[in-house]
Amino acid sequence: MLSFWTVVERAFNGPICTERDFELGVFVPNLRKIVEKYGIKYDPQNPVPADDDLADRVWEAGMEFLVETGVYCVDTERRILFSREEIDGALASGPCGRVFGEGKDTRVMPKRVPEDATPPWCSVGPTSSPLSSELHYVNLVKAYAENPLGDGITIPCLTRVNGQPIVGGSPLGIEGAIRAVLLTREGMRRAGRPGMPIVNGVTTAARAQEHIAAHHFGIRRTDALEIGTIHEMKVDFDTMNKVAFSQAASNLIFAENGVILGGLAGGPAGVAVVTAAYNPVDLLVLRGAVQHPFPTHFDLGITSARDTIWARSVSNQAVTRHSTLPVVNVGYSAAGPMTKMLFYEHCAWVIASVVCGGSVEVGASARGTALDYTSPVEPLLASEVAHAVAGMSRNEANKIVKALLEKYEPQLREPPVGQKYQECCDPVTGQPKSEFLELYLEIRKEMADQFGIQFTSVSPYL
Amino acid sequence: MSDKPIFQKLYNAIIAGDRSGLEKAVGDALKGGIPPSDIIEKGMSPGMKEVGERFARYEIYLPEMMMAAEAWEGAMKVLEPKLLESGSELRKVGRVVIGTVKGDIHSIGKNIVGAMLKMNGFEVFDLGVDVAASAFVTKAEEVGADIIAVSALMSTTIPQQKSVIEHLQARGARKKYRVLVGGGSTTQEWADSIGADGYGRTAGDAAALALKAVAKK
Repeated sequence: MLSFWTVVERAFNGPICTERDFELGVFVPNLRKIVEKYGIKYDPQNPVPADDDLADRVWEAGMEFLVETGVYCVDTERRILFSREEIDGALASGPCGRVFGEGKDTRVMPKRVPEDATPPWCSVGPTSSPLSSELHYVNLVKAYAENPLGDGITIPCLTRVNGQPIVGGSPLGIEGAIRAVLLTREGMRRAGRPGMPIVNGVTTAARAQEHIAAHHFGIRRTDALEIGTIHEMKVDFDTMNKVAFSQAASNLIFAENGVILGGLAGGPAGVAVVTAAYNPVDLLVLRGAVQHPFPTHFDLGITSARDTIWARSVSNQAVTRHSTLPVVNVGYSAAGPMTKMLFYEHCAWVIASVVCGGSVEVGASARGTALDYTSPVEPLLASEVAHAVAGMSRNEANKIVKALLEKYEPQLREPPVGQKYQECCDPVTGQPKSEFLELYLEIRKEMADQFGIQFTSVSPYL
Repeated sequence: MSDKPIFQKLYNAIIAGDRSGLEKAVGDALKGGIPPSDIIEKGMSPGMKEVGERFARYEIYLPEMMMAAEAWEGAMKVLEPKLLESGSELRKVGRVVIGTVKGDIHSIGKNIVGAMLKMNGFEVFDLGVDVAASAFVTKAEEVGADIIAVSALMSTTIPQQKSVIEHLQARGARKKYRVLVGGGSTTQEWADSIGADGYGRTAGDAAALALKAVAKK
């Protein structure tokens, strides 16, 4: 595989191009041409298609698109180009089966394929959702870590230090990043899982210097830093600085790509192709140990809509049939905690992800943006579902996802807000309210009775 | 929509985002003696309206909007001097200064909002991403803006939206502009807490919000 420093060199010496010309003169026409050439069409009737030929066409389209388009460096205003041979070289030497965590909490990240019976990796946590209090922070991490199906923690986003709002790039950003790691370690210790890996360190950190600061206060080599591209197919020096540091520090990287449906990639077909194209970008530019995709709807800000689930299903199949880089899908749902809709949304995108070859990070509620609107209960059910559907056929999953979509789709624009963490759980003990646990058991039974999902008895709430 | 073929050509070129095709159609229309105001109002504006409506129905996406807006702007470079010559003036709904705050490099949501505003007749001054609070104010003063639209995606960058309002206050210019905020981590509660004049949950809310804001001004 090309070295990272060769990629950096290309960022300085590649073809000069304005950002506008990259977007409308290179990216958009290349993508349109390739989507048409490979005959990739969105099928809303089948959000989880069982079509290997479609998956293979999406993969080929993604590779051709990447060769013709490259990655844009916004700081040098140049395109970083790769040949197909270089891409194939990266894919042939990419990581597989990396070990995360320490001691008894050590876990291996599985490489899965569509309809694979191998249990998926489950990252648990609020997926960067903002929290107002350090007490909530520790209690939530503890509750997530108590989920026996949780392999790694995705930490929340602390929003204040010493009463002041955290501003990325300021000293408050440095302190926030450090504090987030220390609080997370404490929450996991209280749960009896001190070796559990942090896999999205550090959400409070917007800038490279904040990642580096957090590393000095508890991020380990068996944790993962989450590093993302810029929409779409762009990087900047700050992103590359994070990679340079992680390379030197021997950190694992979750390479994040949230292609915007409705953005430059256009509709679901374009989103699937660009997500596939990101797979080798995650190897070559972000030096990822995992691809961490989440196609997101431009208007709704979520991943649980029908078109985003289709794009996820198809791109997962494309990637996992051709690349050894494991995929961990993350999801953003619309509804808030302690609503039936949130359970349904989480279950829909989790089922689609797992049967199409992915692992999962469960998951964000209220679009992952509303302060304190997060809970450990829905992600618990989602992780149980993720394990239960490993080995399920795509056709069967398609039926279930369609039925779930019918339950919540009409409410996506105006979803129920639900309750804040401190309202649906005891803010001191972290224990969910009894009516919340009743709702959890009701939906769990519904998933078993209506869809035949066979749960194990590992839930701490049984 | 007029049934005159030239208006149909103008309309089609806008929808296709065909900048050179639109420039040619504008040239043909001017040669044919059609007043610039009719070219805009009977051909191009209905095209822009249709693009906005198709976007709202998820039939087209950001690239088509950006290309339509670019085609419009290219044509207006030809038409605006002609309008002035003829003694008429293009009616603008309002002027908007838009950008993503300091420390935040996310542009897609901001670009969608900018394009939606153009579709609805606003003149948009896009400052890009990672924009200093003072730059919003300076540009608004320079162009005589009606609205300052401030985008921020992340929980750790939305405090910069408050900073823009504070800079306006410091310059004694707060009351001159309607300040609208949006982006992934923003909420109505947040907008209220910082004294913003409006909040859009989605990019699609932006045009209605901006129209409401200029009506109140």
